[in-house]
Amino acid sequence: MEGMTYLAIAYLGMILGLGIWTWTVVTRSRNLQLRIKALENSLGLEEFESDIVATEVSNSE
Amino acid sequence: MRVRHGEVLLASGFIGIMATLFLALKWAPSVSIDAFASPAAQRIFYWHVPSAWAAFIAFSVLFAGSALWVFKRSPFGWRLHVAGSEASLACGLMAVWSGCVWGAAEWGTPWDWTDVRLNTFGLLTLLALFLVLGRQSQPDGIESRDTFSTFGLYGFVLVPITYIATRFWQIRHPGPVIGGGEDSSLSSEMGLVLLLGAISFTILIAGHMIMSARITEYEQRLERLQNKMDGRI
Repeated sequence: MEGMTYLAIAYLGMILGLGIWTWTVVTRSRNLQLRIKALENSLGLEEFESDIVATEVSNSE
Repeated sequence: MRVRHGEVLLASGFIGIMATLFLALKWAPSVSIDAFASPAAQRIFYWHVPSAWAAFIAFSVLFAGSALWVFKRSPFGWRLHVAGSEASLACGLMAVWSGCVWGAAEWGTPWDWTDVRLNTFGLLTLLALFLVLGRQSQPDGIESRDTFSTFGLYGFVLVPITYIATRFWQIRHPGPVIGGGEDSSLSSEMGLVLLLGAISFTILIAGHMIMSARITEYEQRLERLQNKMDGRI
């Protein structure tokens, strides 16, 4: 029974880690989305090309 | 209403993983006491194998993204590279950690430096760690993207080596449980729980990569907007 207890603790630790990582990703995505929306509204802009580095590459070629 | 595929996949994968762990602890049959020093610890394999499987999917995405950036200069390729490296790191750490827990219980040591599979998989996880930390510490530019993509491209060679390691140089890590010949058979209940775990981890990691690619896109858009506000565009 002791082995199963340790195993359950190890599993719970990993689930907790996975849950924290998942939550962090979802909240970061939502925060960024809100910041972009606010900036676009304040500048009166629609969505535009987002990857500066890729644009630089295509311009130079 | 806009369907958020990333969030749906994350939630589905997470529920599937919880179900897998419940079945692994409560329903899956125990292994023979004679075959294992620590039969209870064997149940960690329902986490270890699916997370290693998901890591290989993530490394494949990293490879594809790196190749798309290096050869096509594709912004989508770069987002795949970022998503693949983060997912590779997370899944790699989960597989390494669960393997160490099992190794400590079964072998009496969490790591065996003479085992090829352990070391090549550990190197792959370190490569993912280097890519994630390196990208965060360097300014985004063509040179840094080329450097990281080259590592992602050539580092992939460790994936097939890791896969075949237990077939050619088996030292301590157990051989394949599926498709490995006569010694690899699983009971139907064990196979079912393992399959559920593999599907759940695949769904979860797909959700994470979609979210990660979306975050990269948002960060780039935010940077461009800030540049526009500063009058640089």
